[in-house]
Amino acid sequence: MMAFPYEHEREVRILSRGWGDPRTRTLEGWKALGGYQALEKALRMPRGEVIDEVKASGLRGRGGAGFPTGVKWSFMPKEKTGPQYLCCNADESEPGTFKDRELLRWTPHQLIEGCLIAAHAMQADHVFIYCRGEFFEAVQVLARAVEEAYEAGLIGKDILGSGIDIELTVHSGAGAYICGEETALMNSLEGRRGLPRIKPPFPAAVGAFGRPTTINNVETLCAIPHIVQHGGAWYREQGTEKSSGTKLFCVSGHVVRPGNYELPLGFPLKDLIYDVCGGLRPGRSLKAVIPGGSSVPILNAAECEDCTLDYEGVVEAGSMLGCASVIIMDDTTDIVKQVRRMVDFYAHESCGQCTPCREGTQWMARILRRIEEGRGTEEDMDTLLDLGDQMTGTTICVLSDSAAAPVASSIAKFRDDYLALIRRGERVGAA
Amino acid sequence: MSDHTKASGPTPFRNPGWAGNTGNFDLSEAQVRGDDFVGVRPPDGGHPSGAASYPYMKADKAPDAPLFEGPYRERFEKILTRYPETRAALLPTLNLAQELRGHISPDTMREVAVLLDLPEAYVRGVTSFYTMYNKKPVGRFLIQVCTNISCNLCGGDEVLAAFLKHTGTELGATSSDGDFTVMEVECLAACGTPTAVQINSRYYENVTPDGVPAILERLRARGE
Repeated sequence: MMAFPYEHEREVRILSRGWGDPRTRTLEGWKALGGYQALEKALRMPRGEVIDEVKASGLRGRGGAGFPTGVKWSFMPKEKTGPQYLCCNADESEPGTFKDRELLRWTPHQLIEGCLIAAHAMQADHVFIYCRGEFFEAVQVLARAVEEAYEAGLIGKDILGSGIDIELTVHSGAGAYICGEETALMNSLEGRRGLPRIKPPFPAAVGAFGRPTTINNVETLCAIPHIVQHGGAWYREQGTEKSSGTKLFCVSGHVVRPGNYELPLGFPLKDLIYDVCGGLRPGRSLKAVIPGGSSVPILNAAECEDCTLDYEGVVEAGSMLGCASVIIMDDTTDIVKQVRRMVDFYAHESCGQCTPCREGTQWMARILRRIEEGRGTEEDMDTLLDLGDQMTGTTICVLSDSAAAPVASSIAKFRDDYLALIRRGERVGAA
Repeated sequence: MSDHTKASGPTPFRNPGWAGNTGNFDLSEAQVRGDDFVGVRPPDGGHPSGAASYPYMKADKAPDAPLFEGPYRERFEKILTRYPETRAALLPTLNLAQELRGHISPDTMREVAVLLDLPEAYVRGVTSFYTMYNKKPVGRFLIQVCTNISCNLCGGDEVLAAFLKHTGTELGATSSDGDFTVMEVECLAACGTPTAVQINSRYYENVTPDGVPAILERLRARGE
């Protein structure tokens, strides 16, 4: 029998159930697992009750910000005055994150069902699934599943005889990290450059095509059928009081078994590294962890000791859960090089709209490269911190803040690595 | 471990790069990639919901092909039906043009602008914003190696160097036989299977420097 590469006995597989089984991709296979029962149930429920159930589940947005999903949904107008839209954010591109691709290619019907329930709850006429352009394979799987659902009368006019019409379009981007920011996503969907918009107005008032719009992450929408089917209280059985449910943890870097693991929120970080992922490579010790994708502050080994992986626990440890993209770095890691690589990324992906970001990311990248090449001075570290301060909270979106976070935290926590390069030209770590 | 995890080319190759290389994964490549489910796409793109708008990158390009005729025209017209505003069809139309021609030249931008009744400068502005639009011709195989943090920690730079070495090209240039263009790319969202490499429409995962010659051989032999 096949064994999916990512599987561990401590996992609680709700969203990832069916991963690694090609039958789950098909409409038939998804229905065999009880699929589309939640949609039937939701279509018979008053819209407000669907939203209440999602509120009761405590589900929080899985795209990074962790905003309560039910509350976000309730921002949509009560009285409909024209077209309304739901966008599914499948522009997964935060370095370290690789969960949505698996959801798209293994369980496309799970996402379609979640989208339809959400669209019904918010009276959206049209769902746009915005996939990053690189996901050619995943998008073909999704598009085929959408066709199946159209043929079965699950999407389109008068869904399952309910009188409700919902259209669904799969839309491919063309390579821009910033389009994962919800207002940039809407601009990109509209055929514009992916520039984030100033808020307010918020998307629930003026969103895509100037109409009320809600944007949810793939993983958030995939949780919806399960919540509707089994109830918000059932979902709350997993996770912590404030961070309910399960979360897909994307573990990458220096562990024996990197991969996606679905675990209850609040899972201890050390257990994730040493038990679920099989620990570090032989003879290595832990140097640093980025717990939530490249945009969040780096944790050193001591801060990882008691860290639990829920929205609150990671903040307590000094970082953020983000989209739970856990990047593990062992003692061979050249922190300065890796931070420089991350900043290069932000410099490349800055949309160029706001000066602190457009200029700041470039300056940071240049200064870090100078330090990496052994031509830096101790003053450069102060310059970087100063730049970071000016790049934080001064721009339309948080890309700029995201670039500053790893720089500031790495200088605070791995100052010796910087100093070794600056004073003696010594690189710490070989990898 | 079944056979397909062990070899997919003339040289022994345990790392075909399409799945987690755990050694106990016994699905076929088509099952992992989803080809067995997707099947062969109809030339007219199938249902307008998405089939018309996802981009492929093909080895065989037709830089002088008209925009659009035959099945491509049908796909283009399906794209137009899916959005409340014509402008929203711009990215899918550019995707379609790139699939056909291999890159988006200034002439292509002009033609797309006419098709969608948008200012030419506007189309240029949008095209230049997105990195996936090739502004100049690329080789039959566009090899994009991720060197972002997760891949970098596991040797992404070495994989990039191996591709450059074995294709005999410089970064961003096309090999003299016109087959390969090698580029560095930002995170491909396959961080659990480093190093991730995208070659035309395909992801290759768990790529190591040693595995590079076999991948290139496979590309020459199979065309993907």
